[in-house]
Amino acid sequence: MRFVSNFPYGRAPFWLLVIALVSLGLRVVTSRRPEARPDLVFVTHTEAHFDAYRKAIPRFEREHGVKVQLQFANWASLQARLQNAILAGTEVPDLAEVFEGSLGFFTRGPMEDFGLLDLTDRLRADGLDKRLVQSRFTLWSARGRVFALPHDVHPVMLAYRRDLVEKLGIDVSKLDTWDKFVEVGRQVSRDVDGDGIIDRYMLDMRFDGNWSLQILMLQRGGQFFDQQGEVAFATEDTAQLIRWYIEQTRGPHRIGYECGWGQPVVKAMTDGLVLFQWAPDWRSWVFADEAPGLSGKMALMPLPAWSPGGRRTSAWGGTGLMIMKQTRHPDLAWELAKYLYFDTAELGGRFLATNILPALKDAWNLPEFETPFPYYSNQRVGQLYAALAPETPPVYSSPVDDAARIGLDRAFNRSAEYYVHNGEAGLLEKIRADLADAAEDVRRLAKREKILAKAKL
Amino acid sequence: MSGKISQRPPRPPGRPRYKGKAPYLFLSPYIVLTAAFFAVPFINAIVLAFYETNGPRSRAFVGLDNFIFLFSDSTFRQALFNTTLFAFVSVFIQLPLSMALALLLNSGGDKVKGFFRLVFFSPNLVGQVLVGILFSVLFTPRYGLVNRVFQIVLHWGLEARWLSDPRLIMAAIVLTSLWLWVGFNMIYFLAALQTVDKTLQEAARIDGASPWQIFWHVTLPSMRHVVVFVVIMSVIGSYQLFELPLTLLSESYGFGANNAGLTLITYLNYMAFRSGDLGLGSAVGWVVAVIIFTISLIQIRLGRIAEED
Amino acid sequence: MNILQILLVALFVAFVALRSLGRRQAASRFARWTLMGLGAVVVLAPFTWLLAAVFKDRSVLNEYIFLPPVGQWSEKTLNLNNFRQLFQGRPSVTGLVYFWEYVLNSTVYATCTTVLQIFFCSLGGYALAKYEFRGKTALTLFMLGSMMIPSVLLLAPLYKMVVDLGLVDSLAGLIIPGMVSTYGIFLFRQACLSVPNEMIDAARLDGCGEFGIYLRLVMPLVRPMAAAFCLICFLGNWNAFFAPNVFLHSQDKLTLPVVLNLYLGEFRHDQGVFLTGTALAMIPPAVLFFALQREFISGLTSGAVKG
Repeated sequence: MRFVSNFPYGRAPFWLLVIALVSLGLRVVTSRRPEARPDLVFVTHTEAHFDAYRKAIPRFEREHGVKVQLQFANWASLQARLQNAILAGTEVPDLAEVFEGSLGFFTRGPMEDFGLLDLTDRLRADGLDKRLVQSRFTLWSARGRVFALPHDVHPVMLAYRRDLVEKLGIDVSKLDTWDKFVEVGRQVSRDVDGDGIIDRYMLDMRFDGNWSLQILMLQRGGQFFDQQGEVAFATEDTAQLIRWYIEQTRGPHRIGYECGWGQPVVKAMTDGLVLFQWAPDWRSWVFADEAPGLSGKMALMPLPAWSPGGRRTSAWGGTGLMIMKQTRHPDLAWELAKYLYFDTAELGGRFLATNILPALKDAWNLPEFETPFPYYSNQRVGQLYAALAPETPPVYSSPVDDAARIGLDRAFNRSAEYYVHNGEAGLLEKIRADLADAAEDVRRLAKREKILAKAKL
Repeated sequence: MSGKISQRPPRPPGRPRYKGKAPYLFLSPYIVLTAAFFAVPFINAIVLAFYETNGPRSRAFVGLDNFIFLFSDSTFRQALFNTTLFAFVSVFIQLPLSMALALLLNSGGDKVKGFFRLVFFSPNLVGQVLVGILFSVLFTPRYGLVNRVFQIVLHWGLEARWLSDPRLIMAAIVLTSLWLWVGFNMIYFLAALQTVDKTLQEAARIDGASPWQIFWHVTLPSMRHVVVFVVIMSVIGSYQLFELPLTLLSESYGFGANNAGLTLITYLNYMAFRSGDLGLGSAVGWVVAVIIFTISLIQIRLGRIAEED
Repeated sequence: MNILQILLVALFVAFVALRSLGRRQAASRFARWTLMGLGAVVVLAPFTWLLAAVFKDRSVLNEYIFLPPVGQWSEKTLNLNNFRQLFQGRPSVTGLVYFWEYVLNSTVYATCTTVLQIFFCSLGGYALAKYEFRGKTALTLFMLGSMMIPSVLLLAPLYKMVVDLGLVDSLAGLIIPGMVSTYGIFLFRQACLSVPNEMIDAARLDGCGEFGIYLRLVMPLVRPMAAAFCLICFLGNWNAFFAPNVFLHSQDKLTLPVVLNLYLGEFRHDQGVFLTGTALAMIPPAVLFFALQREFISGLTSGAVKG
């Protein structure tokens, strides 16, 4: 203790010095060695995928004699950390599954900076460019090259309470346009028990626009960006859509109600608060999983078209598989990607576990896709979605995707506020002005991205 | 070993002699490290502000476009507004509370003072991030501690969506910052109160001044230096508010609904380290630095004017 | 009206009663104690809640404000599940990562930076305080000016520099740029000024080298400031978030504030886990503060209060 009390700086600094040295030593001793790394590391962000891949990977490991590590990561942290790690050259996984709309995040700047492997030639060499649904490639392309493998096609249908709808005497096969749907909806959406509050609505519609607005915009042929990557959502067509949407969610004869997400949706459907729900393929499985009590009472129908004979589906969401340029085994990674996504032995079972329609058209002929689903009143769900798949609208990606979605929402909410205070008078002009403003904001950002695309190191 | 013995006449006591290389050697670590990790980045910050970058990789020259972009971007303007509002609230609500607490504690015995000083300072030990994490849970609608207590005492607020209602977000940030920093500034005021001349206060009391008059005309002026220091520190700190709203509003990366919780540094973090544009981040940094510098100058000026009265 | 409201009203009534009875002294003392007491309750309540939440089971986290009534205590309501979940290894690109690794990272970062800063800042502060040399005024002015630059301005270019040096994603990349602080130099300068020059001159005549004077004579005399600075520096680095969040990428290198912020998003359905992590992260600063309170307060205020 003499030494301690003689330490020139005092006791606290002395003990801190001791702790510093000990912890530094520990840290050095326990730091990881890069050789311990498995051959391939694959990260996904969805539990359902994680479970499915966990079952499929051992066979791949055996056939190729390699070690593959599968990881599950929270999406928000994955996206930011992955891009920063790519740009700084630090440790990244070899393959990563990502959500739609995020490709732009990874494809900023000059192409030399891209951290992703260009898959265009490999797709062509394996003939996959013809065997996958064409419209899904745009979602995962930048500057004309493909940088991620499409996992799925997500055609959107409507899931509805068949028992309640039949009891009301509605024949869904007649609801083939939105006009007819709204007309019936107005009769349906009313106060049933006389307490002054509407307790039955036709359709789940988000109050702030967001995805339900975007689904409709895509169905009409609207887009956030066009093929050249220019901002494209400030159109007359979208303005009309917004006006229609405001009317259906805030007008005197509204048919739309926001159910939220998760538990509240289940409650709304069970109580019959809302009769029709947006059901892309993945969500049809979610309903069955979260509201098992409604088995046999639900059914699916294609979206009503905007004009007779028009498109009866839209798109919502999507997952893609990226391979990092930094990977030490690019060919092996490509084999793993193809195995997980396109191995027909797996895809049937995968469909039954997730209801997700794979992007590989050949797979739709598998027997599992003809299975009747008791939950949906014995409809052959696979066939229904497969029939709509060719019509799924393409979606174009851009580095400023986030900003575009936020911009559309903001324009929508401003116009909706205006309607609430001022009614129909001048509404369309306000919508056009707000849309133009939002588009201008996004264009400013997109211009910067274009400059960056020509940057040098 | 005793170094050069100077031939100059002995200096008056209290003035140390020139020594050879010792001061330079002692300061060399500082000089080297500062040159490398302060001066060089500082110059780079000037350069970068005129570029647009893709993370630490490619860059493209854009001239003044970064600044033009900032001032035409409504998100940045919102951030500027929010941060200024917060700075305002800090000075005019937080500091008076700190002062009041310091006055309360000052008139007690030492043990009491020490205990309560510790209690009120304790939130500061844990840093903005941990406080933000804790309070993000305390503000849960219906179940959070804050909501429940407000309901019990005020019969309001059980369902208040502190962290998702745009109108309440800034209030939530302010409340949390009060909890965190009132005790911190109190320490300074408490220390300053010790140095106030008690005889002056006695004299004023004998003259018949009320406690408030004594405070305003005797106590406060003698604490002038500390008050100015604390105000400047408070404003500088407010303009750099970042970790607290980031963790409170973690779902929207610190932005909050309608960008109600967005601060300048949160905007910087998003632009520079999420979108990856280090150039734009530098530009935002410059705007913040200029604002802080200007306000500090103004406050020092005002402090001097008050002194001359 | 419930208990809490009744209590508050009763306190107010008591105050008014005392005043109107002419007992002004007692009334103001009563008011003082009440206000301080209420303030203390408000400040301590979140900590108390946190302490209770750490042991509550996920299913009852929101049921009871603090702890369940004693009758309900059981394995189902109070248990160590949060700890179990927290200490589980989580997969990452480089393998499983455990919670103690984050604690270790934070410890290394905070203690190494503090120790280095104490050394370099005390050296610099002593030099500024006790030497006259060419360039001293210029240097002092430069240092004062540099303190006015907010550190956020430098973060972006510093990040690029650290990446270019290959130090990104390592604790070294955080510690090395942070090894010296101007604030620290000024604090030590303040403390060294009060060392009597006669003692220094006497030591020189005795044949002590300059560094020996610094180490064996001056430093022991400024131990209170060193202790204060220890705490200030340690607190600042233990709780640091911005730079570690930007500079560290791999899961196994993260420090506590960064990791807990990540967990905030990952464990929305099981908040007890990151709350337990938060509580654990609060312990080292609290311990150090208890040991060094007095020095800390005087060190903190010495820069501000001009006597």
